Amino acid sequence: MSLPSDYTNEINSLNREVLKQKPTDILQFCANFFLRRLESQRAEFLLSQQHSASHKGGTGMAETTFPGSNPFGTSPSSGAVSGSMGGMHRLEEEDENDTIASPTASHFPRPMNSNNGPSAAFDDNAAGSGGAVGGGDTTFGSFGASSGAMPMDIQSFPTNYNMNRRTSVSAESLNPSSSLNDNWTPPYHPKTSEQQTRLRAAVADNFLFAHLDDEQTSQVLGALQEKPIPAKGIKVITQGDVGDYFYIVESGSFDVFVNRAGRVEPGSNDLGDKVTVVGPGGSFGELALMYNAPRAATVVSTEPSTLWALDRVTFRRILMDSAFQRRRMYESFLEEVKLLSSLTAYERSKIADALETTKYPPGSTIIKEGDPGSSFFILESGEAEVYKRGVEQPVKKYTKGDYFGELALLNDAPRAASVVSSTEVKVATLGKNGFQRLLGPVEGIMRRNDPTKQASEEDEVDPLHQES
Amino acid sequence: MREHHHRAKERHNSSNDKNNNSAPRPREHTEDPDIVAAREREKQQLIQWETQREPLTPSEILIEPDQKVVGHSSKYLRCEDFELIKTLGTGTFARVWLARLSARENKEANKVFALKILRKADVIRLKQVEHVRNERNVLAAVAGHPFITTMVASFQDYDTLYMLLDYCPGGEVFSYLRRARRFNESTSQFYAAEIVLILEFLHERQGVAYRDLKPENILIDAEGHLKLVDFGFAKKIADRETYTLCGTPEYLAPEVIRNTGHGCAVDWWAFGILVYEFLVGQPPFWDQNPMKIYEQIVEGKVRYPSAMSSNARDIIGALCTVDVSRRLGNISGGAGAVKAHPWFSHIDWDALYHRRIRGPIIPQLRGPADTRNFDDYDPETQAKDPYTADMRERYDSAFADF
Repeated sequence: MSLPSDYTNEINSLNREVLKQKPTDILQFCANFFLRRLESQRAEFLLSQQHSASHKGGTGMAETTFPGSNPFGTSPSSGAVSGSMGGMHRLEEEDENDTIASPTASHFPRPMNSNNGPSAAFDDNAAGSGGAVGGGDTTFGSFGASSGAMPMDIQSFPTNYNMNRRTSVSAESLNPSSSLNDNWTPPYHPKTSEQQTRLRAAVADNFLFAHLDDEQTSQVLGALQEKPIPAKGIKVITQGDVGDYFYIVESGSFDVFVNRAGRVEPGSNDLGDKVTVVGPGGSFGELALMYNAPRAATVVSTEPSTLWALDRVTFRRILMDSAFQRRRMYESFLEEVKLLSSLTAYERSKIADALETTKYPPGSTIIKEGDPGSSFFILESGEAEVYKRGVEQPVKKYTKGDYFGELALLNDAPRAASVVSSTEVKVATLGKNGFQRLLGPVEGIMRRNDPTKQASEEDEVDPLHQES
Repeated sequence: MREHHHRAKERHNSSNDKNNNSAPRPREHTEDPDIVAAREREKQQLIQWETQREPLTPSEILIEPDQKVVGHSSKYLRCEDFELIKTLGTGTFARVWLARLSARENKEANKVFALKILRKADVIRLKQVEHVRNERNVLAAVAGHPFITTMVASFQDYDTLYMLLDYCPGGEVFSYLRRARRFNESTSQFYAAEIVLILEFLHERQGVAYRDLKPENILIDAEGHLKLVDFGFAKKIADRETYTLCGTPEYLAPEVIRNTGHGCAVDWWAFGILVYEFLVGQPPFWDQNPMKIYEQIVEGKVRYPSAMSSNARDIIGALCTVDVSRRLGNISGGAGAVKAHPWFSHIDWDALYHRRIRGPIIPQLRGPADTRNFDDYDPETQAKDPYTADMRERYDSAFADF
């Protein structure tokens, strides 16, 4: 039988005091110690009673105390706690099984998930069968590492949510190549067009690749490196190991094993349960494209095979570099816009965030003379021509970096001319609403330079001729 | 308790041993009476600060860290000046201890602090040098804010970095939330409002993105107010975006996952997740498989329990908006627009900053050094990597601020 923890706490602090003070009269010292402790504890108790009392009559924020945290036996019954949340008692009713899909072939199916089938976070009914999920300390990858699990009545929690502390994650520090002499280009490994088509199909359903533009996609596919797996029985990744690569299967076949211990013990051949098979067009290890997390499964070849491999730093660097370049391009374009000359660098970077890219084929009317204007345009690439009613020839030509329609940010005056693309063009656009949402009215921005300046003065500037 | 205490002693011994080896040290043990006196003065200041614990006004916080009463780099403090009592928390490369000034008069025995100890070799091995520097410098800059952990001082010895923080005896909001399962609306509003004041200060006064908001990193102090801790991912962003992925899976913003560059707006996203977790008991995006969490996050479709109030839904939806140019907190008005949201309509923001509003949970404590609100942690087991002369050569200058 163990001693009460409050008792050992007291004795321990007495021990510390004795060690520190080295008293000669031990009995007197201990008696004094406990008298002092008693006094201070009673004083605190009275104080805390006052707190609770004034509290109950006061703001009514509830949950002043929790079962187990009150040493004086006055802790409220659990009914008091749950009762105070009566307003939320219908919380679990919105049960839908539609948003959380079952594991797909490109992911590692979790044994828990495959037992439960698709389980929605709110699914009350699944809690019974899946109750062990939250309590296990061998949960998926990075979650398994959380320490100091609290004793928790999992049965009472009607979801399969992991109750443990969550571990922070971080990837390698990435800094964009800010200077021109640091010219990073992604590795390039040539592929046949069939291979390219297959690879595109293999990543088509993967959300990490879904947002890439054409250039990013071809960079990422180009960076995939062929990795021959010459024999059966080769472990490509081992559960619990650090992961740096994502793999797509070109040919061959792989078994996927999950050990419930969360890792494969070094020197052990116990890979755990076989949970799935990955064949050509399948992929695995995608979490490694985010950060360095322990592998969630072991993958073993079942025949001589070929893989394509992509490492995290290359992948994230491709994403970063193109985002970085696009932002700097937008910011440098915005710097040229006279109407916005008083923006700070921070504000320009916010506006750059809000710009949307649109592509037009040659011959498209981007804005039409007489139409009400609500957006501002920057020509990102290609060429466009400006026409005015009654004039046969274009009155002006726009090239990369030119902008037009910026007065739409200021007022709803009709467009003073039409702009028609003469090649395929890419324009970055920003609506008046978007601008105001981010920085407030443009008039306010303009008045910064000169408090006496009136917006109307700017109206005289021809919207399509920013260079006076 | 005994075990912890014993371990603390061992730690002292081992650090004494280190001082006996022949390697060069930045701070020689010396009997120079001036230094002894300065060290004593510094300890007296610590006691004085701990007694008053006055939060500073925003403009007082903004003065140079080395001129402030808190947040300075100490040339005199040493590990031996503290007695390590109990582990309060652990990370991959740091451990936070409840500590008290050692060998003090009895009346000062209740002056306790939280001492965050980082081994330089671990920081280097885990490639966290930049993060640790950011953490120290951000904490120095913000020291004195009423709802941010106060770094009283930082110091270092041959192979270890130390951050001396105020001890926040209420424990983590995480523990209260998991025990209560979820907070009622007014409790959630109170805590959320104090977080808004923190983010407003960090973003708009300091240009700092915190980047790891979650209930685990929010403590409750003796009076029931919040203290944000663990600034390991905090970074001064200035007017450029940043790219390094960091945070906690359930709380990552979509732009962090997609690596398109991120800024302070990630904290407003995480704040929306936090409010949801307060009210519901779990975050809106969750799956056993972290990739599935990320897929849900970039899609950004939040589902609300039917009982959630419409104002709560509205503010969560406005914060958890995938498009940063439409995200509340990042749009025109900044934190002010968040404060003006109807969900906060009853909050007196000025009284809140000055801690005049009573918190919904007042921790039960038996004294300033009570650790009942902290869980027990396993003792340090990992073999310690030595801090080699080569590491010192390459990296020690990076720790010069400590």
